[in-house]
Amino acid sequence: MAMSANPDRPEESRYEEEERLACGRLLSDVWDAGDTGRAADDPHLSVCPHCSAALAELTGLGDAVRRTCAEEPGVPEATTAAITARVMDLVRLELRPGRPLPLGGPEEDHWIVEAAAARLLRAAVDALPGVRAGSCRIEPLDPADPTGPVHVRVEVAAALDRSLPDLADAVRARIAEVADRDIGIRLGAADVLVVDILDEDDVGDDGGTGGERGEGDEYDRYGTGGAAR
Amino acid sequence: MPGDGNQMTERAPEGVRADEALLVVRAGEGDEEAFEALVRRHSPAMLQLAVRLLGDRADAEDAVQDAFVSAWRKLPEFRRDASFHTWLYRIVTNRCLNRLRSRRPAADLDSVPEQAAPEHQASPARAVESRAAADALAGAMAGLSPEQRVCWVLREMQGLSYESIADTVGISLQAVRGRVFRARRYLTEAMSAWR
Repeated sequence: MAMSANPDRPEESRYEEEERLACGRLLSDVWDAGDTGRAADDPHLSVCPHCSAALAELTGLGDAVRRTCAEEPGVPEATTAAITARVMDLVRLELRPGRPLPLGGPEEDHWIVEAAAARLLRAAVDALPGVRAGSCRIEPLDPADPTGPVHVRVEVAAALDRSLPDLADAVRARIAEVADRDIGIRLGAADVLVVDILDEDDVGDDGGTGGERGEGDEYDRYGTGGAAR
Repeated sequence: MPGDGNQMTERAPEGVRADEALLVVRAGEGDEEAFEALVRRHSPAMLQLAVRLLGDRADAEDAVQDAFVSAWRKLPEFRRDASFHTWLYRIVTNRCLNRLRSRRPAADLDSVPEQAAPEHQASPARAVESRAAADALAGAMAGLSPEQRVCWVLREMQGLSYESIADTVGISLQAVRGRVFRARRYLTEAMSAWR
């Protein structure tokens, strides 16, 4: 079998050997030098007609890429809106059952899905000044009693304008109020976990975790319509 | 200039981007409104990526739409410490790669992208020249294999490092280098015929 002759060497691994210029240099090396701006460090590259021609071809391709990117039409707001609408139509058709939680007293047979109750509780927490809710999980306090009171665990990002115990108390009180008055679930316990700090900037305009940018930075930097260089 | 005319960018002010982690957690727990905000925020960059990968606007819109629905289904398993943007980028890229692979080779010759010609009244000659270069490149790109095209676009149009491409596509660094090299060699030849 032809493939087994070189099991440790996938076809991609020897691409360097594919083209050697008439001067003996590998095309891949010459282009790498052009790519990384090292071409000027090697006098041969500017003197040798083969190498200079290869570098000029790469530059020409780079120019075409830049022009192509410059000619690209932007994404109109209407397109973004249309894509978002189509995606959300499909998303809303998806059934994501989720945990049912009992509404009202143990004798009643009314239920609410966890995600729906969580959305109401998050909105209630968001309405407090300097607080934004993240994760909100709701489950029976006693797993053996699915119709009993529930246990709420909510994560929040908060501004540092008051002590965390005060803040946690305020969030708990708000959850208790909304759970009882607006939703109708019996609250057994509520845990509040502060997972992030809101910057001052974020607090005023209703939002923000003050979170740091992560590993996606590179993708962000180049996701915006220009050629790389 | 590269980047001009692309004001929809991902580069929103920090304050706008900052609540992303909360939105992602909420969406993962089934909050549709949170997901909608994420879709709206990330659509332009993902669409731009898909247009470059596929060379066709309508096809790109379908790919991005599929990718978002797939993301919604997978979100409950999304690792919190990962970047949502990077995760999404990977999903879109792989959707596009699969679409390229499933295209019939004969169709490729007809699928040179149609792009609206922007108005460049100040310098019509230059606009025509740029447009001709763009058309020639688009035509040449249609001759790349799906794997070469994806690696090359991520490298040359999206500006990703070889490492990031390997991570995004799920192949070795050496394989990425090989594909980008072969794509360049093919495209320089095709473009020199044009010039």
